[in-house]
Amino acid sequence: MSEEHNPEPGNRILEVRLGATKAEGGTRERVYTVGGAGTFPFLGAGPAAGHPPRIALEICDDTRTWSPIVLREVGDLAEDTGAWAAAAETTFGADMVRLSFTSTRQRGFDDFASLGTTVEEVIGATKYPLIVEGSTEPAIDSEVYRRIGEAAEGERVLLGTAEADRYRSVAASALAYGHAVVAQTPIDINLAKQLNILLHETALPPERIVIDPYTGTLGYGFEYSYSVMERIRSVALQGDADLARPMISSAIDSLNVKEVREADPETADEVAIRWEFYAAFSALIAGAEIVCVRHPGTVALLREALRALLEGSHPQEEAYGDESA
Amino acid sequence: MAMKALDIYKLLPKTNCKKCGFPTCLAFAMKLASGKVDVDLCPDLDEQTRELLGGATRPPIRLVAIGAGERSFTVGEEFVLYRHERTFYHQPGLMMQVADTWPEERIEGVVARVRDETFHRVGEDLSVDGIAFRWESGDADRFGGVVGTVEACASVPEVIIADDPEAQAAALAHCGNFQPLIHAACADTAEAMCDLARKYGCALAVRAGDLEELKRLVGLCRDRGVENLMLDPAPATLRDFLARSVEIRRRAVERTDPDLGYPVVFDTVPLGLPDAATALGILKYAGVIIIDELGPASTMAALTLRQNIYTDPQKPIQVTPGLYPVNAPTGSAPVLMTVNFSLTYFTLLGYLEAAGIPCYLFIVDTEGMSVLTAVAGGKLTETLVADAIKTTELENRVDHRVLIIPGYAAPLSGKIEEETGWEVRVGPGDAAEIGEYLETGWEA
Repeated sequence: MSEEHNPEPGNRILEVRLGATKAEGGTRERVYTVGGAGTFPFLGAGPAAGHPPRIALEICDDTRTWSPIVLREVGDLAEDTGAWAAAAETTFGADMVRLSFTSTRQRGFDDFASLGTTVEEVIGATKYPLIVEGSTEPAIDSEVYRRIGEAAEGERVLLGTAEADRYRSVAASALAYGHAVVAQTPIDINLAKQLNILLHETALPPERIVIDPYTGTLGYGFEYSYSVMERIRSVALQGDADLARPMISSAIDSLNVKEVREADPETADEVAIRWEFYAAFSALIAGAEIVCVRHPGTVALLREALRALLEGSHPQEEAYGDESA
Repeated sequence: MAMKALDIYKLLPKTNCKKCGFPTCLAFAMKLASGKVDVDLCPDLDEQTRELLGGATRPPIRLVAIGAGERSFTVGEEFVLYRHERTFYHQPGLMMQVADTWPEERIEGVVARVRDETFHRVGEDLSVDGIAFRWESGDADRFGGVVGTVEACASVPEVIIADDPEAQAAALAHCGNFQPLIHAACADTAEAMCDLARKYGCALAVRAGDLEELKRLVGLCRDRGVENLMLDPAPATLRDFLARSVEIRRRAVERTDPDLGYPVVFDTVPLGLPDAATALGILKYAGVIIIDELGPASTMAALTLRQNIYTDPQKPIQVTPGLYPVNAPTGSAPVLMTVNFSLTYFTLLGYLEAAGIPCYLFIVDTEGMSVLTAVAGGKLTETLVADAIKTTELENRVDHRVLIIPGYAAPLSGKIEEETGWEVRVGPGDAAEIGEYLETGWEA
């Protein structure tokens, strides 16, 4: 399979724009382009290097299922989604916030009006592009994604998550209100490709799709995710246009595993940060353009590492965050 | 360049004499092509063919042993750039550094950790592999003294980091017989370092930031009779290491540059960023990684990453089928059926433990396939479930007859009910929802 080692010259990962400035109909002070690379991660220079990866900090609107380690670290912020989002950008140094509507995971959820309010609150509190995660229950998907999409209209958020058996509501909202979509499949390159084709049939343009090949947690199947990301990047650079999309990676179960949950309270933060870091850093090396973590301390560690990987390959401003339009 | 099985076959005698131990020449050719056997097993090749096939089929990266005794390890003999192409074979040795300028207690602390600290994960004991001595004092005798003191209390593999042959000689006088890695020779010192490597039979690292210079050093050392070499690409940044290590591995496995066919050593300490550098070394082809005093959290994460990356992707990882009690269940506890794909098992187990609900995890044998694949591929069937109920004596373990099956196995619910006589409930498709499902939706 040595042919995979050398990308076909000219093949590139598609560029996806996130966020919209005032001039573009939004309110973001920064916007990002992700993707664009023509080489394996951090090996290219100039245009072939593509755009620098981004670090997202995940927050939620209902903290009942959130890691107690993170809740302890962020304190009162957890009670105020807008303030939490603002702190993610200013205090914790994330490139973007990923807001997860965990409230919709409760059985019998019907407080749809709260979704729009929270989205507006977070938009008002932040200046960078956003990722917003809706429900996981097909019965309420349509209403949830409509409310979220509508409240964020014009901001070009990254809306999650489309899956093979429930992608229509997400795609419809993205189309109606001008957002991009996270397309998640369970660690399988063919399923990833199929979902992209399905989304294509909804008329969602390919430059508004980010692939999520699903990231298992360090020590719990992470190797499958690492390799599927390497494979996706590899075949994309060989010319498979359906897979030539930026990837997003979030090892969402990192803070639920035994090693982290049962850590001594005194070292729990250290363990949580390392468990997230090793998976997120490896995802960057495998080709993820957006990595998501939940512990604020992981962001700083990733930022330093990213600087060292990008050294000299991008103009300073862009590499370190700002890409104002 | 690597050769395909058919091209190799054309050069073999085609007599099917079986002297190589394989039934046919073609079978032997296929083994050769995958790098799994040595061409010397065929006694009927002329010298020229033997050399040609050997160059094209022997492992493109030399196997190098570090250390002596129980904890010694080997690195190299890798064949691919990406683990999905086949697998990675020899995981890198993590060598924790001590400097000869450190106070005695600090050195002792690191040595004790390397000697004694292990983490147990999924049936394996994980630990840091050895100690790297760094010469910082400028005093060869002092360096030798430190190595000697440690040598007396720990028998673990070692790296001797000193660019001065005299300091090396002082250290090797204490530990040379235990095959430490000598790190590192450059153009000026290659001759003296080679003499030491030969004297003690140790592996020798050569160090240069430029690949052409590395190749020149390799040639120099080989001319002086040292074959067990490692390459230190002298990175100043993470980005340097990635670029150089990938290029070395690429040229080696594509067999375009046999002089680069040696395992890489990565000294992460001068770069700072200990977590990122250690992870990068594990992911991108280092054979020996010299690390700083990583804390226990970092060490555990790094060793877990190494375990993941060096897992053979060709074998689905499986857990043993059977009945697993979770959170001390009693006879009235729910029974959750799922497959023996380890990722499924561990994910589900994590959520169940987090939810704290007593239950039985009932694992059936789908040969390591996930629920979706097993249902689609006909591996998960009602008879399989019925047989598993019998072999686990499930009926004696619980006092109800309700079986919760994975959401993705819903199409089988009717058939399983008929075949087993148990009442089947369809659980959630996503393990993350199992806690809530059990809290609200389940009663036997």
